[in-house]
Amino acid sequence: MARPKPKEVVQDDRQELFDDEFLKKLEYLHIVSRKAFAGRLRAERRTKKVGSGIEFADHRKYTMGDDFRYIDWNVYGRIDKLLLRLFEEEEDLHIYILLDASRSMRIGSPLKLHYAMQVCAALTYIGLGNLDRVGIVPFSDQLHEPLPPARGKRRIFSVLEFLRGVEVGGLTRLGECMDAFVHRYKRRGLAVLISDFYDPRGFEEGLNELRYNKFEPFVLQVFDQKEASPALHGDLTLVDCETGEAKEVTVSRALLDAYKREHEKYMDELNQYCTRRAIPYFRTDTRVAFDELVLRIFRQGGFLR
Amino acid sequence: MSFLLPIPLATLGWVAAIAGGLTVTAYILKMRRRRFEVPFSTLWHRVLREKEATSLWKRLKRWLSLLLALLMLGLLLFAALEPELGEQDDDAQNVVILLDASASMKAVDEGEDGKASRMDAAVEIVDDILGSLGGGDAAMVMRMDGQTTPLTRFESDMPKLVRLVRQVQPSDTPADLRRALSAAADALRDRKNPHIILVGDGAYDEEALNAVVWKKAPENRLDAIDLGGIDLRYVPVGSTGENVGIVAFNARRYATDKTSYEVYIEVQNFGKKAARRKLVLYNGDVATDVRTLELKPGEKLRQIYSRGGGEDSVLRASLEIETKGDGAAKDKRDAFALDDEAWALLPARRKQKVLLVTRDNLFLEAAMLVYDNVEVDKLLPEEFDQAVAKGTLPEYSAVVLDEHAPANLPPPPTGLIYFHPSGDHAPFKVRSEVVNPHITDVNEEHPVMRWISMGDTHFDKTDVFEVDSGKGQVVLASSVRNPIIAAMRTKERKIVACGFSVGGTDFVLRVGFPLLLVNAFDWFAADEADLMTTYATGTRVRVPMDGVVGAREADVISPTGRISRAPVADGFATFYASEVGVHRLAAKEGDKVIAEVKLAANLSSPTESDIAPSTELRAGGEVLKTPDAFTASHRRSIWIYLLLAVVLLLCVEWVTFNRRVTV
Repeated sequence: MARPKPKEVVQDDRQELFDDEFLKKLEYLHIVSRKAFAGRLRAERRTKKVGSGIEFADHRKYTMGDDFRYIDWNVYGRIDKLLLRLFEEEEDLHIYILLDASRSMRIGSPLKLHYAMQVCAALTYIGLGNLDRVGIVPFSDQLHEPLPPARGKRRIFSVLEFLRGVEVGGLTRLGECMDAFVHRYKRRGLAVLISDFYDPRGFEEGLNELRYNKFEPFVLQVFDQKEASPALHGDLTLVDCETGEAKEVTVSRALLDAYKREHEKYMDELNQYCTRRAIPYFRTDTRVAFDELVLRIFRQGGFLR
Repeated sequence: MSFLLPIPLATLGWVAAIAGGLTVTAYILKMRRRRFEVPFSTLWHRVLREKEATSLWKRLKRWLSLLLALLMLGLLLFAALEPELGEQDDDAQNVVILLDASASMKAVDEGEDGKASRMDAAVEIVDDILGSLGGGDAAMVMRMDGQTTPLTRFESDMPKLVRLVRQVQPSDTPADLRRALSAAADALRDRKNPHIILVGDGAYDEEALNAVVWKKAPENRLDAIDLGGIDLRYVPVGSTGENVGIVAFNARRYATDKTSYEVYIEVQNFGKKAARRKLVLYNGDVATDVRTLELKPGEKLRQIYSRGGGEDSVLRASLEIETKGDGAAKDKRDAFALDDEAWALLPARRKQKVLLVTRDNLFLEAAMLVYDNVEVDKLLPEEFDQAVAKGTLPEYSAVVLDEHAPANLPPPPTGLIYFHPSGDHAPFKVRSEVVNPHITDVNEEHPVMRWISMGDTHFDKTDVFEVDSGKGQVVLASSVRNPIIAAMRTKERKIVACGFSVGGTDFVLRVGFPLLLVNAFDWFAADEADLMTTYATGTRVRVPMDGVVGAREADVISPTGRISRAPVADGFATFYASEVGVHRLAAKEGDKVIAEVKLAANLSSPTESDIAPSTELRAGGEVLKTPDAFTASHRRSIWIYLLLAVVLLLCVEWVTFNRRVTV
């Protein structure tokens, strides 16, 4: 096996990535999101945390030291048991957008990375617009310099500037990166994972890290049509863009078909894994406009509730 | 199935081995692959792992591809053998047609009006013969004149042969039947049912016909033409034998009086009727003599003309038909016009101016007096040097330098004769000096030493030259490997040098001494008494190119302007005249002509001029019959089908390769 390539800062042209047209689309998406969730209170995304909100959540037995004010006297009158009324605590939701910045994201037309950044920016803007705290954590084989969680729409420009400067390179190591992530960020929240999920060690470990540490994973798989169905034929040397590993193959139609099936199968495995574990999963081709994808996310739910 | 085997089997074997090896090597060597970057090679590994299970089939497909390539190669090589179907037919013939294209075939006596040439008639006959051959027969047509030229190898494609035969033109050379029969017999060696069909007018050398043997020739008969087992047939052409021709024509200068020359003409009537001809002798374009000749049947007349004067010119003799009545004939030429004209060259004749540079040497001056073709001037060495330095020296053909080797020489091409040259400017480096030498070797082939004997000549002493043959220097006389007299031909001039002093030898008292001077003057002027300038067509001769050095080839410009090449070796050009008329041989260095010789070529062949057709020809004691009709045979060449199969396989290979079936 060839030695992995060192991480490098790849200078690709991102200046045009977030132009006026893009910003208009963001604003449009924000309005759509407001309409879709009209009537909701600001920043009233319910967390699983039970606390001092006004929305009833559950009962639990009274124990010494509990606040008397929350004893449900009606229940005591009916069943003669002291139960405490629990309310869902209302607080700012933390949204972490984990952006895959490995070398494999630099493939495709448009680059998967650019596409992912646009989606990332859109989701961030919507999150900020809903007064959530949104942070961006790029990663590859390790966590890159993050954008700390912040709130407020005006932060969008610093988000875009941050995305323009994201370093790209290195292998995809979901497991290690998610492990580092959960240990670094103690405030739980929504973890939107935007990646191609091309990790030779598999995607399960990374997603499980998030799940086991009380984060709510939200999976967004990005792929390029040419990598799903490459137009290859003849004798070739295939070089892995991350590991540099070379393999000489003679690509026939049958082999190409087998590859397409394998690629489809790999994506289905991720889909099934997420479905079984109630993880919102979206798969998108880079040919689909990013705003279309975001609208699809609105329709299916999971990002905004 | 049979094979024509146009390529020897051994050669084909080598080609097969090399081509097969290259094909296999090409399959073994991996092609340089394109690099393609993929984002996730793990997926490819998974796919390829599955494919590993079917790798045996994959390898087999590779083998199939190789086998396909080898099959194509095999088919190509097989096609190269020219396999043919149907030759099992034992009646299939192998025929060599000897088409007479010699000079006599130019005779015009064929056709209904007698206006067609014998060549036209012969071509028609050959067309018929080729048309009567069966599909299984193979024929080769050989053109026969002074040389024998096969037009093709053995062919079954008769239309192709007919096309080639129709392009044959007769030449001006006599037929060499011996060479033609030998070549035909060699071509038919080991072939089934061999035939030779000779189509011509029968004007052939009797000796060649008598040399034919029908059984294995005895070992002591090296001249025999072995036609054992070969069926030789003859188809005659021609109808008339009436012809008067010039069979000899030449001109030469008198050796004693080179200002005069004589011309020799020999005219013969080959017909059975008396003939009357007007013989006109031209010098250039000017008729210098006209005679009327009355020739009885078979009579040969010899005419000798003595002429005075005459410079370098072309002589032409012409025979014209003359009738007794009004003296004007409708056609001036008879049926065979080629021998009605002949050419000869009169070599150049120039008075030479010679300068003698000496201090009153009586022997030298006296020797000059014997040759009336020279005008002699005399200068003292100091006067000579001054004149050369001032550039006031008149132009001389030759300068004789007695005991003087000056630094400045007259401009070329003035020839130089040195006696006892010494110092830095001697033409040859002096190696040593010998006392009382005896001449042991004389180069009699050199024109300067012609007719000179030096066997009992005495010298008190003489210088010995160092002679380098690579620089065009040649030893003329030597005393036990010590060159005493030497000659040199540079690109510009000719030089003769004698190592001895005129006063120190008794050679000056002998006949050889003035002869040496005369020969040297003649050599300088390229005036060689022995030079023949008239040759018969169809013969190969060595012609001296005036001692030319360095040239390896000479351009031969024929009378019709055709330019060919003649090899030159040791100053001689090998010349073959195929046309009647005046030829020009020019040896060049770059674009500059360094030596030029004119030669005349005439038919000069009584055998060819005797155009009476031989209706019956005897070879090896047997009368040659006309050919029988050929029985039909069938044969089909299949190389084209093999080639088509290769193309088809190539398409299959291309399609399967591109569709990734055989990769």
